[in-house]
Amino acid sequence: MLEKDKVVITDNAARAAGVRLGMRRGGVLTLSPQTELYERDAGREAASLRDVGIALMRFSPEVALLEEATVVVEVGASLRLFGGLLALCREAKAVLGTLGLTARISAAPTGQGAWLLAKFGNRRVLKLASLEQRLAQIPMISVPEVRPFGDWFTGLGCETIADIRRLPRAGLQRRCGEHLLDSLDRAFGTAPELFDWLELPPTFSARIEMPDRLEHADGAVFGAHRLIVQLCGWLCAKQLAVTGIRLLLEHERGRDAIEPTTIDIALGEPTWKEEHLVRLLKERLHRIELSAPVIALRLDASNVESAVPASDTLFPEPGGSKEDHARLLELLVARLGEENVLRPAPTADHRPEVANRWVPVTNKSKQEVLPQGLPRPTWMLNDPVRLLMRQHRPFYGSPLRMVSPGERIEAGWFDGELVTRDYFVAQAEDQSCYWIYRERASSRHAEEEQRWFLHGLFG
Amino acid sequence: MSTVTATAEEIHPSLWRASQLARGRGRVVDTGYPALSAELPGGGWPVGALIDLLVQQAGVGELRLLRPALSAAGARPVALVQPPHTPDGLGLNYIGLSVENVLRVDTQKTADALWSAEQILRAGSCGALIFWSQYVKASSLRRLHLAAQSSETLFLMVRPLAAAQDSSPALLRLALRPSADGLTVDIVKRRGPSRAEPLSIPLQPTPVLLSRHARLSRRSFADVTARGVPTEVVS
Repeated sequence: MLEKDKVVITDNAARAAGVRLGMRRGGVLTLSPQTELYERDAGREAASLRDVGIALMRFSPEVALLEEATVVVEVGASLRLFGGLLALCREAKAVLGTLGLTARISAAPTGQGAWLLAKFGNRRVLKLASLEQRLAQIPMISVPEVRPFGDWFTGLGCETIADIRRLPRAGLQRRCGEHLLDSLDRAFGTAPELFDWLELPPTFSARIEMPDRLEHADGAVFGAHRLIVQLCGWLCAKQLAVTGIRLLLEHERGRDAIEPTTIDIALGEPTWKEEHLVRLLKERLHRIELSAPVIALRLDASNVESAVPASDTLFPEPGGSKEDHARLLELLVARLGEENVLRPAPTADHRPEVANRWVPVTNKSKQEVLPQGLPRPTWMLNDPVRLLMRQHRPFYGSPLRMVSPGERIEAGWFDGELVTRDYFVAQAEDQSCYWIYRERASSRHAEEEQRWFLHGLFG
Repeated sequence: MSTVTATAEEIHPSLWRASQLARGRGRVVDTGYPALSAELPGGGWPVGALIDLLVQQAGVGELRLLRPALSAAGARPVALVQPPHTPDGLGLNYIGLSVENVLRVDTQKTADALWSAEQILRAGSCGALIFWSQYVKASSLRRLHLAAQSSETLFLMVRPLAAAQDSSPALLRLALRPSADGLTVDIVKRRGPSRAEPLSIPLQPTPVLLSRHARLSRRSFADVTARGVPTEVVS
């Protein structure tokens, strides 16, 4: 990583090749020509810091972005909700992990104190007294206000923050200005802290560029997960829930621009749960075919409404709540498609194949009143099977014997799909029953043999 | 010497003698057929376990056999995964199932069907799940059985009769064959002694609408006409 043509960060492989901090570009390339060099991009760093800030808003609405890639979250009021400090830190780490980042996470009673501790690893303190002990051992150079006077303090024999605090305050204030003392006082909790809390945009729309061109939609899951994490942070802070999200897959711009592929996800129940949204997106991404490689993803929250907190009953019902079932249906629809998750909605029609209507579960039309006591088979064949005839009787495995009076159905003249049938229940020799019909031929075809069809089974 | 005379179930509730039926430790749903319930461990369909129904072909009466148990699910939905034919809403209504609670999941691939069944079991929001499949690997069966154990869902798999030869983790396996007034049920596997003679279970409503006793049918027809005519006209 280069900044102003000087090496600022190296990885293990580069260090092994002899690349050191502060080297120039030419020097690095002489040592190992295959080293990959990247220019530091302050804009992208700030953007990803902001992403982290938004994602962390799920823990507390008070999030501030500070200098040197640090985010401060006020979690004092959230500790019990998330099950203690350790659990909270673990969750925060998981959130950062999905964003593709690692972080040192520290906790302290003061924001400035936490900032200083985080510079030196994962340290968690809850009491002011222990914070004082911890801070005292930290090198004084880590306080940003001390750095301009670093050499002078070293000359005085100061190494840690405790050494600086031992110096007379009046003299320090005269020589170094009031900012240094203020900063230390804030860290030790003797002066009030003020942060510029992160302000959220009124609508959510986040975009990330993929590090590489994606040929398969499955590859976008990781990127989409990052966007969802941010969305969930935004929703929690705003106390909203989404009922619809839209993921846009932006394609590589070839000779002419291609419309981005849009995945619209409509939810039956408002949700703000990351896990559920990710599962839905995963199933949808799994199903689509890409027309061109994807280079960027954009996620918009298209429909939001205010969140209703879940009510916990004292004794949970054995079958799970209605919301659980709605989530299950959404998941099934996301993977299998709307046309494959159905509920019955019989219509008032005499023709059995028309009456037997199934609609997607998402279709909320009202149920019609069903006729009672109408003998119908449980299974209906999509295409009636023409039956063989043996000795003028229909034959299906064995000769069929009629065991019901006929039911004449003649309907459909009004929409051009006329059926003229006589339905019977027939029993085979193995005692299984079939619903068969005879097509009533008009007088012109009367001389032909009767045509029998199998249409239903009695399950 | 009291340890010798102690019965097996006193040592541990999940023990039983080969000559007796296991006592159901889990919840069961009444089958609605006393003759069948008496032969099942615990006295009903076990909930949260895999049950195999083996049929020669769809439409022998498997849904009518399950109807009392499915109705017991109450307001909880009944999921039908990968049914062999289109179920008829009116037909389901005719045999006494409430149509509002039926959920049908069609899949093109076996993997999708297995995934759907597992998701339905894991969500646990359905009262019953009936899963039709031709061939399932033993590992997938075990996986579904595990998923079922963590749920309160009545889980039935309807498989071809030929699958009776293969081993299965199912707690209960029944082979169903059509008979004159309903079904013949062979208990292929249960926690208890094997039963040689099949059970005969009459099913209602029977699709046979013509009564074999013509006189009976004529009398019922006469009743209907008498009721249809206003009483003052008759008198």
